[in-house]
Amino acid sequence: MASFFSTVKRIYLAIYNWAVFTGWIQVLIFAIKALNESGPAAVYDAVEKPLQLAQTAAILEIIHGLIGLVRSPVSATLPQIGSRLFVTWGILHSFPETRTHILVSSLVISWSLTEIIRYSFFGMKEALGFTPSWLLWLRYSTFLLLYPTGITSEVGLIYIALPYIKASEKFCFRMPNKWNFSFDYYFASLAVLGIYVPGSPHMYTYMLGQRKKALSKLKAA
Amino acid sequence: MIVTLVSRSGREVVRGGIELSDSATVKDLQEAIHAKTKKYYPSRQRLTLPTKAGVSGKPVVLSPKSKVSDYCEKGNSDNLTVVFKDLGPQVLYSTLFFFEYLGPLVIYPLFYYLPLYKYFGYDDTNRTIHPVQTYAMYYWCLHYSKRILETFFIHRFSHATSPLSNVFRNCLYYWTFGAYIAYYVNHPLYTPVSETQWKIGFAFGLLCQVSNLYCHIILRNLRSPSVNGGYQIPKGFLFNIVTCANYTTEIYQWLGFNIATQTVAGYVFLVVATAIMTNWAMGKHRRLRKLFDGKDGRPKYPRRWVILPPFF
Repeated sequence: MASFFSTVKRIYLAIYNWAVFTGWIQVLIFAIKALNESGPAAVYDAVEKPLQLAQTAAILEIIHGLIGLVRSPVSATLPQIGSRLFVTWGILHSFPETRTHILVSSLVISWSLTEIIRYSFFGMKEALGFTPSWLLWLRYSTFLLLYPTGITSEVGLIYIALPYIKASEKFCFRMPNKWNFSFDYYFASLAVLGIYVPGSPHMYTYMLGQRKKALSKLKAA
Repeated sequence: MIVTLVSRSGREVVRGGIELSDSATVKDLQEAIHAKTKKYYPSRQRLTLPTKAGVSGKPVVLSPKSKVSDYCEKGNSDNLTVVFKDLGPQVLYSTLFFFEYLGPLVIYPLFYYLPLYKYFGYDDTNRTIHPVQTYAMYYWCLHYSKRILETFFIHRFSHATSPLSNVFRNCLYYWTFGAYIAYYVNHPLYTPVSETQWKIGFAFGLLCQVSNLYCHIILRNLRSPSVNGGYQIPKGFLFNIVTCANYTTEIYQWLGFNIATQTVAGYVFLVVATAIMTNWAMGKHRRLRKLFDGKDGRPKYPRRWVILPPFF
């Protein structure tokens, strides 16, 4: 019974990883095409649909971690996916004024390169049982550049959106009300920016630790 | 006798070891280590016996009151290897508690007395202060003053110190939640509940605070140093039915405050605080049941609610 479940688990994870991989390949190709043909302002419109699909699918990964299907700690996946969803839906989708900015291009390229490597890495592991060492190296090395470029793009876009957020009442819930509750999207966005301050070094050092572990295993093998 | 002091990676912490008289206590050892290493004062030292290969379970911690020779293996009372871990800079528990509680005590009245809301974009000039907001401020300040007084006059701490990093973490928790709740209860657009409701809320809360104080007094008198590592089965008052009656009364006290003031912020705090205390209570209940298992002449721990009757 146990080995039946583990086979089903493997097939599911293999399909999941390769499917999302395909989404991100689309994002990268459309982005480069738009850059070549029209320039940075056109990138968002070209990638919107596959970007939203691929990024939102990542919610499944939190569930995978919670139910123990994969070993990644929720403390590492939640902030990463949280920030991605916030930027994708809470900033780019909700405030179109940000879509033409050049940071969208750097964002989309950083994200897609990282995810293409990550999903193919896990996809191979599940489907074939191993990953080639060059892919392992890529998975644990490209973040050294792509995390800073991605995080800078995310922070930059949130910052650019701030005046539009302040001027709009979108997602705001005001007082007075019976439960003395309020939600101000502008303050919430400031709080998110604040979280990047301790959050980014935390994620980066976590990956550095993972890199050390993974590459030393490679040397030993 | 010679004590060889090693780090967890096997490196010698004090070259050549520490020479002690055969009747030396662990406390003497700690002071000798401090004298030799200068920066590792005793409360920073965690001293354990080396774990044997293949043996699982937690390593044996050296107790300051015991004699060093108590930890030696039979027939080998001339030397002992002790594993050293630096716990980092330490502060007194009373210091930690004082600063965590001082924040809310000071921050909340700031929102009540000072015209801060204009910085959030609200017109602060013609506001009416509802009676419940005033009583809430008194209640809150009473609560945190009580906590500070208990820290210095009532609580007896099992460990004298806590890592310095806990100061930042705990203050962040208390101060942020304090500001978050104070912002809403003192808001110019605050909507009060009915007079009956807030009177009941505060009365219930006060009753629980008094009970909580009594629980703390009972716990203080429990800590006799001799038997069972200082642990005794708590009894008397609510402890006869709940292991962690002190947490229970604390939680219900916050419930009273929330019934009176009715803010989402207050209820969020209640839920988080309850989760944290429940976690602690489960650990304490488990420890007491393990210790008082009814064997070897020890009493058996009675069946009790862990923390929150009637739920848990």
